[in-house]
Amino acid sequence: MLIKLTGGKVIDPAHNVDGVARDIYIRDGRIVDAPEPGAKVDQEYDLRGKLVMAGAIDLHTHIGGGKVNIARAMLPEDHRPDLCAATDLERSGCGHAAPSTFTTGYRYAEMGYTAGFEPAMMPVNARQAHMEMGDTPIIDKGAYAMLGSDDLLLSLMKDGVDQRVINDYVAWTITHSQAMGLKVVNPGGISAFKFNQRKLDLDEQAPFYGVTPRQILKTLAQALHDLGVPHPLHVHGCNLGVPGNVQTTLDSFAALDGLPAHFTHIQFHSYGTEGDRKFSSGAAHIAEMVNKHKNISVDVGQILFGQTVTASGDNMSQHRNAAHADPSKSVIMDIECDAGCGVVPFRYRDTNFVNALQWCIGLETFLLVDDPWRVFLTTDHPNGAPFTSYPHLIRLLMDKSFRNEQLARINTDAAGLSTLGSLDREYSLYEIAIMTRAAPAKTLGLRDRGHLGVGAAADITVYTEDADREKMFAKPNYVFKDGTLVARDGRIVQVVWGNTHVVKPEYDPGIEKVIEPHFRRFRTQRMGNFKISNDEMCECGHGSKLHVHDCTHGRKQ
Amino acid sequence: MSALTFTARGMPAADIDCGGLTCDSLAGKSAAEVAKLPILVGGRQTPCGDVFDVSGSDTMQIVFRGNGATCNRIGAGMTIGSIRVEGDAGDHLGLQMKGGKITVTGNAGDFAACEMKRGRIVVQGNVGDSAGAPLPGNKKGMSGGMLVVHGNAGERLADQLRRGQILVAGNAGAYAASRMIAGTLVVLGTVGAHCGHAMRRGSLIVRQRPPLPATFADCGTHTLAFLPLLMASWKEAGAPFATLPVNPRAQRWMGDTGNGGKAEVLVWA
Ligand SMILES: [Zn+2]
Ligand SMILES: [Zn+2]
Repeated sequence: MLIKLTGGKVIDPAHNVDGVARDIYIRDGRIVDAPEPGAKVDQEYDLRGKLVMAGAIDLHTHIGGGKVNIARAMLPEDHRPDLCAATDLERSGCGHAAPSTFTTGYRYAEMGYTAGFEPAMMPVNARQAHMEMGDTPIIDKGAYAMLGSDDLLLSLMKDGVDQRVINDYVAWTITHSQAMGLKVVNPGGISAFKFNQRKLDLDEQAPFYGVTPRQILKTLAQALHDLGVPHPLHVHGCNLGVPGNVQTTLDSFAALDGLPAHFTHIQFHSYGTEGDRKFSSGAAHIAEMVNKHKNISVDVGQILFGQTVTASGDNMSQHRNAAHADPSKSVIMDIECDAGCGVVPFRYRDTNFVNALQWCIGLETFLLVDDPWRVFLTTDHPNGAPFTSYPHLIRLLMDKSFRNEQLARINTDAAGLSTLGSLDREYSLYEIAIMTRAAPAKTLGLRDRGHLGVGAAADITVYTEDADREKMFAKPNYVFKDGTLVARDGRIVQVVWGNTHVVKPEYDPGIEKVIEPHFRRFRTQRMGNFKISNDEMCECGHGSKLHVHDCTHGRKQ
Repeated sequence: MSALTFTARGMPAADIDCGGLTCDSLAGKSAAEVAKLPILVGGRQTPCGDVFDVSGSDTMQIVFRGNGATCNRIGAGMTIGSIRVEGDAGDHLGLQMKGGKITVTGNAGDFAACEMKRGRIVVQGNVGDSAGAPLPGNKKGMSGGMLVVHGNAGERLADQLRRGQILVAGNAGAYAASRMIAGTLVVLGTVGAHCGHAMRRGSLIVRQRPPLPATFADCGTHTLAFLPLLMASWKEAGAPFATLPVNPRAQRWMGDTGNGGKAEVLVWA
C-alpha cells in the first residue's frame, strides 16, 4: 500500500531540513522515494499547513521492570482517580505517575512518541522488564542493563582482571539480558549501601571490594567504547540529590578521560551549597563543562510540580529520600547480587524552596547547554514528573513569557537565587525536533528512526502549529507507527505492537567459565535460565519484532 | 414536596454504583431527568431508570428502597442533604462523605464511612468489615464526623481512623482500632482479638476489658474529667449511647508500645 503525506512542512534535523513543504511517501512501513508519475496512491493525507516530524523518542523513561511494578502496587491512590475504560480498541488501564503498561503505550502514542527506552533494567529482572514492555503497545522499546554495583563486576575489578575480561562480561550481560545499552547507577554505591554505608564519594573505596566509583565509571565507559556499542555508558552518578554534588558530577566528567558518556537526569546532580540554605544551582558549571566536552551528553530529568513517584536503582539515595515520601510510604529493596532499588512517592511543591529551585535548575540546564544534539528532553519519568507532562515542558522551553509567568509563581527565595529569569533563550521547533527525535536516535544508534529520509521507518508525527506549544504537542493530528495511522487528534485509532531494539556486542564465549560458577555459587537462578532467547522476546511482545543494531561505533579494531 | 425515591426494580443486578445519586449531584433535576442519568451497573453505563423506579421531587431528601445490598457507594462524596436507605446498603456507604446525613434501617456492607470527613451516618443494623477505614493502600481512614452503628461491626473497625467518632452498640470483630491514628472508637459490646494492633494514638472506649495485645501497658484507674464531656456529645446519637450512666472513672491501658504507645484503651463501667 502506498500512502502519500502531501505538502506538510517537514522538520527533519537529521537532514538539515527546517520547515520545507514536501511530500512523503510510505510503503510497507518505510519512507520511500516518490513513485513514478501516475503510480496509484492508496491513501493520501492533505498536510498542507501542518508540521511534520519523525516520531519522538524518549531515551530515558522508567516503563518496565520490578521497580515500576512496585510503584504500581504501592500506589492505588495513583490509580483510582485516573481510570481508563476499555474500548473496542484499547484495554482498560489506570495510573498517572505509574500507569499500567497498556495506558503507557497509548498515552505515549497519543502524544506523538513512537519509542521509549527503559534505562535501569537489572539483568536479574530483565525477563520481567521485557514482559512488561512487551505489554506496552504501539511504541518501540529497549532497555539499558544495569551494572556497576553487581558482585561479579566488583569482584573482577578487585582481582584486577584485564579490561578484556570486563568487556566480555559486559557484552555477555547486554546480549543475554537483551539490552540496548548499559547504565551504571551510583557506581559501587548500591553495593556499599548493603554494607551499611550511606554515602560513597567518587574516590572513596567501596567496602569489601576496595574499588572506587571513579574506577568503575572508567572501566565501564571503556568497555562500551571497546565493544562499539552505539550508546555510550549511561551514567547515573554518585551523590544524587546531595547539595554540593555538582563538584562530584564535574569530577565524574573528568574521570572519563575523554571517553564518551551520557549523564542522565543531570538536574539531580547539579546542586551547589551556596546561600543561606546551603542549596544552590550548579547548572551553569555543568552547562559550561558540557559545552566544552563534546564526549558528554546529558538528559535533564526536569521536575514539574505535582504528585509523582520516584523509582530508582539507587537505594542509597532513595533511603535518604524516604523521609520525604508523600504519601508516607516507600520500598527499599535489595536485589540479590545485582543491585538494589527504591521506590518513594513524592509531591513536588512550587511553594517549597528546594523543589522550586530544582525546577529552576532543570530549566537553566536546558537553556544553558548550547548544543541540542547533546541535551535530551526528559523528566526521568516518573521521577521528576510523569511523561504526560512533556508538552508542558516543551512550552516552558519555547515560550519565555510563559516560563517567566510560571517563575513568578514559585517560592520567591528560590526564584531569587536562580538566573532563570534572565535567560532569554527560546527553543525553536527545529531544536525541539533535534532533542526529541534526531539526537536520541543518533546516540542510540537507531539509524532508521528519528528522521524522515528515504529508507527510514515511517514513525511520523503531524502537528498543527499553535502558539500554545503545550496544546500543540499534547495532541498531534496524526501519528504513524511503522506506516500505520495509530492516533488522530490525540486519540488512539489503531493499536499496533512496536519493535524491541537490542545490541549484541561480540564477546569471547570463554567468559562463561567465569560467569557460570558465579551463578551456581551465589544466585537464585542458574546461568542457563538467566539468558533470554530471541524467540522468548518475540513471544512476550505480542509478536513484535526484535531489531538488532550494529556495534561498530568507534570500535577498536 | 416528597422525597426523591429510588425503588429497586426486582432483584438488582450486581454492583450498582450509586455514587452519583447524591443531593449534590441531583440538585435541580426532576425524577424523569434522574431516570435518564447513566450509572454504572455491573461496570457498564446504564440508565438509572433501568434499575430503579424513580419518583418524588425533593432532591435534598433521597430515599433508597428495596433490595439495596448491591447498591454500593451510596452517598459518596455528599456534602449536604439527607439519604435514607430503607433496607440494606452495599459497600462504601458514605465514602469520602463531607456533610449531610445518611440513615440505613438495615445493614451496611464493607467500608462504611470509608475516608468520611464530615457529617453523620447511622446504621440501625450491622456494618461489615473495615468501617471507618481508608480505601485499601491509603494511609488515613475516616477523618471527621460520626458513624453510629446499632448492631455489630465486622473486622478492622476504625482501621487507621484519623479523627471523628465511631459508636457501636453491639460487638466489634478482630483488629478493632488497628493502626488507629487519632479519634475515638466506642464499643458497648465485646471486642474481638488483636484489638488496638499497631494503634498509634486516639482512644478505644469499651465497657469490659478487651483481649489486648501484650504491647499495651496497664496505667491504673483514673478519674477522667473529659469522659462526661465526651459522653455529652453522644446525646445526639440517641439511645443507647445517650442514656449511658455518666461515670468519669476508667481503667487506662496505653499502647501499642510497638508503635509509639500513645494510644489509650479506656475500660469504664
Ligand atoms: Zn537514574
Ligand atoms: Zn531514571
